[in-house]
Amino acid sequence: MAKNNITYLTKHYYFAALFIVLVTFTSCDDDDPENNIPSSDFDRVTMLQRAAESLIIPNFEELQASVNTLSSAATDFSANLNEVELDNLRDAWTESVIDHQHCSAFGFGPADLLLGEYATVLGAYPIDEEQVEANIINPDFILANTFDKDVRGFYTVEYLIFGSGLTDSEIISGFDQERVDYLLLIIAELKESFDGIVNEWKTEYIEQFTTNNSISKGSPMQIFYNGFVKDYENIKNFKLELPAGLSAGESPDPSLVEAFYSGISAQLIAENWESSKNIYFGRTRNGEEIIGFDEYVASAEGGPTVVTETQTAIAVIDDDVSSLPSDPLSANITDQAVADLANSLQDNTANFKANILSLLGLEVSFNSGDGD
Amino acid sequence: MSFKNFLEQSVSIAPLVSLRIIFGAVMLLSTLRYMYMGWVDSQLVDPMLHFSYYGFDWVEAVSREWMYFIFWTMALSSFMIIIGAWYRLASIIFFLCFTYVELVDITYYLNHYYFVSIISFLMILVPANSYLSLDSVRKVGIQKNRVSRWCILIFKIMLGIVYVYAGLAKINFDWLVNAMPLAIWLPSKSHIPIIGELFNYKLTAYVFSWAGMLFDTFIILGLLFKKTRWASYALVIAFHVMTGILFRIGIFPVVMIFMVLIFFSENFHENIITRISNLVGYEKWTTGEENLRHIPSVKNKLIIPLLTVFLLFQLVFPWRYLLYPGNLFWTEEGYRFSWRVMLMEKAGAATFYVKDGEDGREGSVINHQFLNAHQEKQMAMQPDLILQYAHWLKHHYKEKGMSDPKVRVEAWVTLNSRPARLLIDPDVNLTEIEDSWDPKPWILPYPYSN
Repeated sequence: MAKNNITYLTKHYYFAALFIVLVTFTSCDDDDPENNIPSSDFDRVTMLQRAAESLIIPNFEELQASVNTLSSAATDFSANLNEVELDNLRDAWTESVIDHQHCSAFGFGPADLLLGEYATVLGAYPIDEEQVEANIINPDFILANTFDKDVRGFYTVEYLIFGSGLTDSEIISGFDQERVDYLLLIIAELKESFDGIVNEWKTEYIEQFTTNNSISKGSPMQIFYNGFVKDYENIKNFKLELPAGLSAGESPDPSLVEAFYSGISAQLIAENWESSKNIYFGRTRNGEEIIGFDEYVASAEGGPTVVTETQTAIAVIDDDVSSLPSDPLSANITDQAVADLANSLQDNTANFKANILSLLGLEVSFNSGDGD
Repeated sequence: MSFKNFLEQSVSIAPLVSLRIIFGAVMLLSTLRYMYMGWVDSQLVDPMLHFSYYGFDWVEAVSREWMYFIFWTMALSSFMIIIGAWYRLASIIFFLCFTYVELVDITYYLNHYYFVSIISFLMILVPANSYLSLDSVRKVGIQKNRVSRWCILIFKIMLGIVYVYAGLAKINFDWLVNAMPLAIWLPSKSHIPIIGELFNYKLTAYVFSWAGMLFDTFIILGLLFKKTRWASYALVIAFHVMTGILFRIGIFPVVMIFMVLIFFSENFHENIITRISNLVGYEKWTTGEENLRHIPSVKNKLIIPLLTVFLLFQLVFPWRYLLYPGNLFWTEEGYRFSWRVMLMEKAGAATFYVKDGEDGREGSVINHQFLNAHQEKQMAMQPDLILQYAHWLKHHYKEKGMSDPKVRVEAWVTLNSRPARLLIDPDVNLTEIEDSWDPKPWILPYPYSN
């Protein structure tokens, strides 16, 4: 149809380069010296490294250790079904669910199990009492073959060892071989899971987690932050509002609290909140300073104001956590202090879910399509 | 020469044929990519509810099987557009399928989807299959190497509107004076090799803001003239490659880089067409250049008036925001369909409270029970979507047995790094409000001075 003039492209190659340079320089109409200092040289990789080494892995190691103690306590109990061993078992369980509160925000990577993030599987509540009882007497039951989350994990152990409205001697006498087997089965899954999580973190995942500086979807920083926010929101949504009947269309139902049978719900809420603050402020469980999201946010454009507003909101939550009715929370679930804490957590949600996400440029979700 | 004669003057068909092939190819890739990414399921099939476009709430998501059928139909029709087979039918089908999918859920609204709808609509109207196409082999009578000028001009004008309007939208205080939102977006990209380090400097945000504004506003001017065309095109490539690297904008940069080729000379396109033609052996079937006649004036007298109305709409509709009070970015009244691209950083956290009209008990809603993360994010900062969701919640809780549910929202929204403030009057029962073109008095005024 026509002659060849594709050589135009090569001929005008230098134009391309020239114009890019021109545009870059002609539009530098702002010579404010402040602009020549990096406004944001926050070191994300170091933050992730310290978080992994001093917060996430140590917390999982503590949980692993307490779950191992739980496991031996269960073996001891199975050998000697008496009140002393039951008390030991209960103490070990309490220790492990407290440690769980300090890990539940880290449900990604190795802690993202076959059935979902570990806390939604092994930390599921309320459990399905009827199904648990049915499984116990079912000789063909295989734990690995069931997708039910509410028949396993910490709170199924709790149901078995604290019982629902039973005296200690009734609980002990209820432990026939089938019940003992189920208890050991559930605890074995816990032990296997946390041994696996710790091992994978230390051998493979730490490398992956601490060498990626990106914050786009699926990056360590993004999943770390999203895990943190989700865990924070769970306190309000599932530990407070749902049992207190503060969710739309629901009436108060004390049996929906976390740790209903042991009655340590308020204590666990306080621990979970402590964990949220540790992540946000960058603190280990022992109080050692690492690098927190507050520092990261402060380094961003408009960040200092948000940090201040968040700090104020956190102080209010602190007050409301300490004003929670004493345990068992289920007995006082309609107390105004429960609603107050839910409200103060709600008031801070905008900081965590809108302000900070926005300032850091973190994406909310995996797989949400293109933007424009 | 009258304007009508100018529009119908015959020009080479080559640019239009290039456009057809390029558009078809990019759409084919884009359709396959959408399926490959699993978005048919995650965006269209899985969600419990969809947010509709105003006036299009009758468009509903079909079942998974039908949705995939529609996507494969879209892929097939874009392939038929490439090879020019049953072109008119294929372009109508593509337009309908694409626009249908787009209308299913407004939370996935993107300017470039709207752009694709527009271009695919225009493709229906032009005889882009008259050359280098299966149709022109099938029916030799339709083979032409000339078309009326309007067939190519319409695409240039449309691209012009997109770029210039995108540029004008960037002439605002935050973009130029505060370098917002780039001042918060760029530092988050500092991990990018080589240039990443630059993003930690605020100066870079200023440079990019001003360069972006100048680029969008003036690039069409540069493309129009022969002397500046290649240089401008180099800029087009540089600009879109850069935004493609920096932001998650999918195939949009590719679409633009190729579509803009329509501004190139007839010779340029004839050269390309000849090469493809030789490659596929098209010449064997042609009747020979001397037999090709000019396309006579438009057969359908309605086309020019229709396109005039279409263009007037495109020119005027983006300015409707001027009729609304308040800050456009805050209220988003008149924000969409106006080529405001990558213009603001906005995010929200919206908590809904549903009150039983009978016993007065009120409870909060856990949004992710009903919405996926993307839907929740988009809904939480856009007043009309907040309203839609409130109505959906009303029906949901009514079905669950609640009598006369009342719904209010606490929606905290941050715009361009300013601390979040309430977007919607938290005391208003949203179920009593119907969406309309009218200003929404239940949106609280923008709390900052600029």
